[in-house]
Amino acid sequence: MGIETSCDETAAAVVKNGKEILSNVINSQINIHSQFGGVVPEVASRQHIENIGPVVDAAFREAGLAYSDIDAVAVTNRPGLIGALLVGLSFAKSFAYALQRPLLAVNHLEGHIYANFLEHSDIEFPAVCLVVSGGHTSLLYMSSIGEYELIGQTRDDAAGEAFDKVARFLGLGYPGGPAIQKAAEKGKPGRVVLPRVYLDRNDFEFSFSGLKTASMNQWNKLKRKGSADVNDLAAEFQAALVEVLVEKTMQAAAKYKVRSILMAGGVAANQELRNLMKNRGQDIGLLVHYPSLSLCTDNAAMIAGNAYISYIRGNFAPLNVNAYPGLLSL
Amino acid sequence: MLILAIDSATPVAGVALLNEEKLIKEEFSNYKKTHSETLMVMVDRVLRECQCTIGQVDAFAVTIGPGSFTGLRIGLAAVKGLSMATGKPVTGVSTLDTLAYNLWGSDALVCPLLDARKQEVYCGFYDVTDAVPYALSENLACSPAEFTAKARDMAREKKKDCIILLGDGYYPYADFFQQQLGNSLQIPPPHLMLPRAAALGSLGLKKAHKGEFEDIFKLRPVYIRLSEAEYRLGRGEL
Ligand SMILES: [Zn+2]
Repeated sequence: MGIETSCDETAAAVVKNGKEILSNVINSQINIHSQFGGVVPEVASRQHIENIGPVVDAAFREAGLAYSDIDAVAVTNRPGLIGALLVGLSFAKSFAYALQRPLLAVNHLEGHIYANFLEHSDIEFPAVCLVVSGGHTSLLYMSSIGEYELIGQTRDDAAGEAFDKVARFLGLGYPGGPAIQKAAEKGKPGRVVLPRVYLDRNDFEFSFSGLKTASMNQWNKLKRKGSADVNDLAAEFQAALVEVLVEKTMQAAAKYKVRSILMAGGVAANQELRNLMKNRGQDIGLLVHYPSLSLCTDNAAMIAGNAYISYIRGNFAPLNVNAYPGLLSL
Repeated sequence: MLILAIDSATPVAGVALLNEEKLIKEEFSNYKKTHSETLMVMVDRVLRECQCTIGQVDAFAVTIGPGSFTGLRIGLAAVKGLSMATGKPVTGVSTLDTLAYNLWGSDALVCPLLDARKQEVYCGFYDVTDAVPYALSENLACSPAEFTAKARDMAREKKKDCIILLGDGYYPYADFFQQQLGNSLQIPPPHLMLPRAAALGSLGLKKAHKGEFEDIFKLRPVYIRLSEAEYRLGRGEL
């Protein structure tokens, strides 16, 4: 069984042998946080403590299992909002303790990456993985399953964060990713021109704060001229961001001579990003994998799935395991 | 009835095991380690040293607030996990009731105080001459000055000559309280000053005997305060 409370989703799932999803329950707080224009940590933690019991119970009911049927309890313990993580971790610890089952602590980002392996059994290594979400934009080199090396990340905003901030500025609502994608469908990129920020072409670092500022400046300028089309700007913003993500990933794939390209995280649900990555992958003869939409956003099936690696290796978490807001490794 | 009490509402972490009216073991820690690291280790040690398993426990008691928001959630999440896995019920006890119970039998006006930050304290006013602490008013969050004004009024109204302050909310404003309450003020010795899981357990036991259990799925902390964001939203600042 897996438990995930690192941000604004209270989630629990039962997964068999790291492969078969028996249940995957997600209680999203998006509607609560949208009135604040973003995730408020204390509000999220308050929701988690109320949701955790019913969500865990629902995961068992959906799987048709009793609590004692599970072999281990897995929980996200980093990275994320510390107060939110602590609700899931404290619950998982005592639940595992009382059931006399081992506890497995899972890195949220590894969970996102593992979502690929829940659905595909044909992923070849080495691989390069682009992890893009509201909190992260990182490129990882994977020599095999569970073996990661960070080869680049964002120096400022995460891609999802840029989506949120620009969407909010344009009055498109929250969360920003889906809002901008929807607006972009009605607009056309290129009518407004925004920069593609590559930084050094030879490394794999990202920067999105410049694109964010340029979008805001453009928007103000267009509004003054009276020719503002929010859909065109959304389309150009999305195109600029996606292009950089894809091209950097392609460069990494070439440099590290990988056999597959993976994507993970909430922003990997973006249709434009999925399409362009798939096409560019085809150009260079590499298979591109990404999780189905429901497994891109935060869920506990990916946590339970990833924990299977630790379970097999016997990497159990002690009773004093803590939660951490940052990444530690990866 | 075997009852396991778990308290992480304040910087103190406490675990106690009681067999009916008999206290078997209590652990108290006011050291800087986080509750996330210590609490379940303490639970495990208490049970093991009493040659007891979690399955033998008949009910759990937990402090439901007020207190540190994160600390309260760690305690509540822990008892939720234990209760769901074992099928045993939970009694929730106010942190301030628990503190007041330290001074059982005193005829003073007993005022537990918790540091609520932002220049405020969580406080309550209690008569502890009965079997269980009797709250003379609602638990509330207020400034130290509002608190002392209320305490003086309450002492006059209830004809109490002596006002006892306890809890970690006393320390940051000790001088102010001395100055405001003068000779009527008394401070208990260190072993009675902070929340004790044993006191929580005995109050929890009384509730358990009366069948006063919490709905484990709905149980949430008594925060008293809104979150900062909700407060600002309510004032139209967001
Ligand atoms: Zn995530």
